[in-house]
Amino acid sequence: MNIAVVVQRYGLDINGGAELHARYIAEHVSRFAEVEVLTTCAHNYITWRNELPAGEARLNGLRVRRFPVKRERNPQQFGRRSVHVFEHWHSLADEHAWLESEGPASPALTKYIARHRDSYDYFIFFSFRYYHAYHGIRAVADRSLLVPTAEREGAIGLSMFGPVFRGVRALMYNSFEERAMIQAAAANHDVPHVVVGVGSEVPAHPEPERFRAKYGIRSPFVIYVGRIDENKGCKELFAHFEHYVRAVPGDLMLVLVGHSILPIPEHPRIRHVGFVDDQDKFDAMAAADALIVPSYFESLSMVALEAWALGKPVLANGRCDVLQGQCLRSNAGLYYEGGEQFLETLYQLQSNRHLARAMGENGRAFFQRHYTWPVVEQKYMDMLNRLHDDDASGRAAPPIEPLPGWFARRRATLPPANDVVKALPEGPVVGQERR
Amino acid sequence: MPSEFSLRSDSVDVEQIMEQIRGRIREKRGVDYTEDELRELAKVKLETFLDPTRVRSDLLEHYRSGHRSDLVELFSPAPVPGNFTFDDHLVFGSARGVTGRFIAGFRKLLNPILKLFINPNPIIQVLHLQGQINTHNADQFGRIAHFINDRERARADLDLLNYEVLHNLVLEMTRLGIEVKNLKMRVESLSSRLDFNERRARALEHVVQYQPGAGPVAETGRSTPPSTLPPDSGRGPTDQVNPAAKGEAQRSRRRRRRRGRGAAGGGPQGPTEANHQEQDGRSGPALLPLEPNGRASSEPASDPSDPGATDQ
Repeated sequence: MNIAVVVQRYGLDINGGAELHARYIAEHVSRFAEVEVLTTCAHNYITWRNELPAGEARLNGLRVRRFPVKRERNPQQFGRRSVHVFEHWHSLADEHAWLESEGPASPALTKYIARHRDSYDYFIFFSFRYYHAYHGIRAVADRSLLVPTAEREGAIGLSMFGPVFRGVRALMYNSFEERAMIQAAAANHDVPHVVVGVGSEVPAHPEPERFRAKYGIRSPFVIYVGRIDENKGCKELFAHFEHYVRAVPGDLMLVLVGHSILPIPEHPRIRHVGFVDDQDKFDAMAAADALIVPSYFESLSMVALEAWALGKPVLANGRCDVLQGQCLRSNAGLYYEGGEQFLETLYQLQSNRHLARAMGENGRAFFQRHYTWPVVEQKYMDMLNRLHDDDASGRAAPPIEPLPGWFARRRATLPPANDVVKALPEGPVVGQERR
Repeated sequence: MPSEFSLRSDSVDVEQIMEQIRGRIREKRGVDYTEDELRELAKVKLETFLDPTRVRSDLLEHYRSGHRSDLVELFSPAPVPGNFTFDDHLVFGSARGVTGRFIAGFRKLLNPILKLFINPNPIIQVLHLQGQINTHNADQFGRIAHFINDRERARADLDLLNYEVLHNLVLEMTRLGIEVKNLKMRVESLSSRLDFNERRARALEHVVQYQPGAGPVAETGRSTPPSTLPPDSGRGPTDQVNPAAKGEAQRSRRRRRRRGRGAAGGGPQGPTEANHQEQDGRSGPALLPLEPNGRASSEPASDPSDPGATDQ
């Protein structure tokens, strides 16, 4: 079976959530099928500047074909168009213009996909919201699987993605909350799907003491891993933690791992160790009392899964449906929806060792059950084999809905995307896949 | 200081733990208001919470309606029409090219005849002066409008700031009002508990002082001569002669007193209630211990004498 993984950026040093996810899936599925990666020459997800050479390359044994991006992103134009489609009544043409502005606009990639559709059995597209996925799926919908990596934000409310969600052969969701949201937005309940997520390779024997010795951290600590960014809820995390420190005597520290694009408060109990390699990261997580995930928008928190794999409880932002749902389904984490809840929940995790340990064990079991690589690989291969069987038996998938005509595309009859998102069901999906 | 929970690790149920945590927060706050609810309260029920300060409940609405953004450009001057410069050309000239020049020459030729009827020169001078005055005024007005617009913009910015500050103050006042109310209730509860404990301590001292039998009480009895006993203790020489009879009499007296106190409206402060509280292990407003699934357990949460076991 020949599989093409299509993703906006690809590289060993590209650590964006969806991109890393795509790389892991490509590498693991390649054990069972011929896999190629189709991507752009972009390295930076803000500018989409062509920084990597076009053409073929090999990465970790996989063939990677890169195609140039036609133009860099114009942030002003993209901002203007975002405001227009997210906040005002607009037309389908406006949404297409928004997608062009968002990028990475690579007609060469789309053209290649359309021309070489017969060279691949299936195309696995990552990230529904980008140019490559929309146009690529429109070109080869009958051979497309989509990993949406959708978050609860404006793009999910854009009308142009409805036919895409309904037209692909299969959807590989990251979480039950993501599935509920997309099904509510696109009414695509009939499309074959599976909630699968992504696995992680966690060392069997991390060395917490090595991390403590290396960074001179002796007190107990909770850890945040990821980009230190206001969009990730870090500013709120700092405020909550400082409140905690004032209210609760002790020596609990907050250790931050990752690049910072936000000023970090000068506080003796907050320590930023910067970007570290995987060994340090896993050692740090193993040394921590708990992992904090303060993000509002996640389609799947890989770092939370890694913490659970290491037997550590998680304290998550309860305003993110996915994180709350994962905590509830796994019984391996608490969540907060404000300063007081942060204080109470963190205090419970820190002071009640039995509880923390039990949650850690639950997390480990949850990870083993759903997110180890054999489980994830099996889900992907089951879906691919199912589609293959359907094709072999001549059960053709219905074609993707065609675009409306020129005039219809220009009629401003579509509601603001943010209003559409507000109307979608909220909250965690409980009662499924619980222990 | 967060509250203490007693949780077992065998079967954790996050949903119920979170419910317990929310319950604890509600208990501590009195009511667990969200930010939106607080805003709603600040809008509607200010007079309930902030009566002494006499803050109007529709204060924010008034402020908001008073803050009109269209005032900012109130003084944008309409474009000034082009001014005239009065001179001979304007009075006698024409804009018709070659014909115009001929017409202007003809008018000038006839000027002496015109002067037989009126003298246009002073009129031209006055209108010229008026033109200058108009230019000056337009210039002045433009400057004033610019100045006022600047001030208006600055005031609008300040108004936004004031609005934000006022808004936050009102929210904070509401929050504090609620907190004060809750604290008052807690203080009342604590003072009644303190009162009860004092009375209970006094009663216990009394009992200990006259407990018959061995130990320090007996020693007190032995070392204290009969004459030094308090006159209202109801003990006479007979008590000393027959300690068993004395003890029985004291016990029945205590029982009578206790019944009397209970009947006199001891209520929740009565010893019976106190004993229940002690059995529950609740020395303060600490939680009942939880089973891992969130159910209340019959075991004490912790040592009641441990201050950490309360949410103070």
